[in-house]
Amino acid sequence: MLRSDHILATVEMIQKENLDVRAVTMGINLLDCRGGVVSETCRRVEEKIGTAAARFVETCNKVSQKYGIPVVNKRISVTPIAFVGAGFDRQGFVELALALDRAATAAGVDILGGFSAQVEKGMTATDREYIASIPEALARTTKLCASINIASSQKGINMDALALIGQTVKDLAEITREQNGFGAAKFVVFCNQPGDNPFMAGAIHGLEEADLVLNVGVSGPGVIARALDRLISARGRENLGLDDIAEEIKQTTFRVTRCGELIGRKVSEEMGIEFGVVDLSLAPTPTVGDSVGEILEILGVDVVGAPGSTAILAMLNDAVKKGGIFASKAVGGLSGAFIPVMEDEVLAAAVGSGALCLEKLEAMTCVCSVGLDMIPIPGSVDADTISAIIADEMALGMINNKTTAVRLIPIPGKEAGDLVSFGGLFGASPIMPVRNVGKSSRFIAWGGRIPAPIHSFKN
Amino acid sequence: MGKQMVMSVMSKDRPGIVADITGVIYKLQGDLADLNQSVLCDYFTMILIATFEDSVTPEDVVAAFSHIPSETRLEVVVKEMKIPMEIAKAKRSPETYILTAQGKNKSGLVHRISLFCYQHGINILDLATTLSGDQYTMILQLDFSAVESVDDIRSSLTSCAEEAGLSVVLQHEDIFKATSEITLF
Repeated sequence: MLRSDHILATVEMIQKENLDVRAVTMGINLLDCRGGVVSETCRRVEEKIGTAAARFVETCNKVSQKYGIPVVNKRISVTPIAFVGAGFDRQGFVELALALDRAATAAGVDILGGFSAQVEKGMTATDREYIASIPEALARTTKLCASINIASSQKGINMDALALIGQTVKDLAEITREQNGFGAAKFVVFCNQPGDNPFMAGAIHGLEEADLVLNVGVSGPGVIARALDRLISARGRENLGLDDIAEEIKQTTFRVTRCGELIGRKVSEEMGIEFGVVDLSLAPTPTVGDSVGEILEILGVDVVGAPGSTAILAMLNDAVKKGGIFASKAVGGLSGAFIPVMEDEVLAAAVGSGALCLEKLEAMTCVCSVGLDMIPIPGSVDADTISAIIADEMALGMINNKTTAVRLIPIPGKEAGDLVSFGGLFGASPIMPVRNVGKSSRFIAWGGRIPAPIHSFKN
Repeated sequence: MGKQMVMSVMSKDRPGIVADITGVIYKLQGDLADLNQSVLCDYFTMILIATFEDSVTPEDVVAAFSHIPSETRLEVVVKEMKIPMEIAKAKRSPETYILTAQGKNKSGLVHRISLFCYQHGINILDLATTLSGDQYTMILQLDFSAVESVDDIRSSLTSCAEEAGLSVVLQHEDIFKATSEITLF
């Protein structure tokens, strides 16, 4: 029998705190779509996605209506496309990108991820053609997201690929100059990229996955923030310790995750597709009150970036994982707190006031998912500096056996402090200053690999 | 198979009352099935189902209850069940929704919501309300098996509740199970 107080706690969560399921992402294996020529492959890709996802959006809407919980985004992730298009040239990959975009539009999904490659140890000729195709592929499509894994704890960092990626990010921004370099917001660079992450831009359907799988991304920084507000006002700040706060976060995360799991399982049941994982990440949106930065401020720093921010984030990230892992049969993906600058209005404001700098963000990414995410930087920053920032972040992931990622957006023609806005879920922020620009070229010029780290003698 | 009876008991609350009631049933060699009891402001009420031998009549049961001492006389109603319990239970709908309605207290709120349910073919399975200060809270478990469109109910419910000054949330029972129970699937 359900108890009244439990019912009312859940009602608060749904009614006042905008509980939603951030993303239901359908993973589709495309390895069997390779045809003799590019056009044949494109046709098969569109056909497979069309068949697999025919009832996907409709089913998500149906389940969402039944349970009264919105599913904000319906997404598709596919096998990293460099494997699907093995042997294709740059133009072939652009054609594949266009086919994926058409398939995503036909299926009615919001976004499609998996225009990706895995080059953490070495690059094939195909991988190089794929990388060369990224700027045009993303400029000519609307729903497509790209990602590349260039480092792992097992293989080290591929510095040849890294050097190319710095330039790719610049080219992406330049080719989409009229949209303030928005192309770069659809491309993310990974260390230890998971194959079952439902969040964009880094969602892929990993090679280790089954033919079709359904992953769910639950979020809810707003729910956590309101729960903490309520706890503090009910019991008084002076009567609480940080362990009480951690416990509240854990319990709230449990409830949020359960809702996501329920929706995901019902959708997969209706569609007859295997249910994969729940990714229980705190992913902020630009909506007021849906911010990870706000949680940090509630927990005691007057502004994000002040000393203490990293420690608070570490506790938050860990409490989220603990609550979520008990709530779900299978947890995967990224699972932690995100700190994407443009998508979080409190973080963006901290950048604007100068409280939050790139170096502090980098430190914070050591203790949370995912990395330097959605950060607008001056368009004048050179490719080698971008590569070197990425290298630092990859090193954090490699050494600490965690996923890290970088999504920097060099805004063409704009400088630090200028405001940039992409609208919708992509948000807005003042441009973050980058210090020591142009001082890392000799490092990037080496190329080769940073060898895989030792996995014992850890101190 | 025996004779299934449903019994309702109401009295002033005191320690030992459940032991007394179940003791009567035990003495009559009755086999207790489902039971639900509640205490509201010092008044005790219980509804229970038990199976007796064919020779036991509802009047026998009422007579046995009358010997139980109580500050106020025990109000007892006993009926023989027409439909066996298993069949009645099987009718329970998988489409159970939970409706919560909260607002400033005034008379007629429960009537308004229950009338709405009746007019839309919704059966109320369970209802609990509390008054705290001037804030009135209702929690209803509703059988939606005869409802065609949950969306239509939602929108007409919202306008009905607005007129009554209530804020309502209507959610499938599964959501509450998911957030409040450890075992889900």
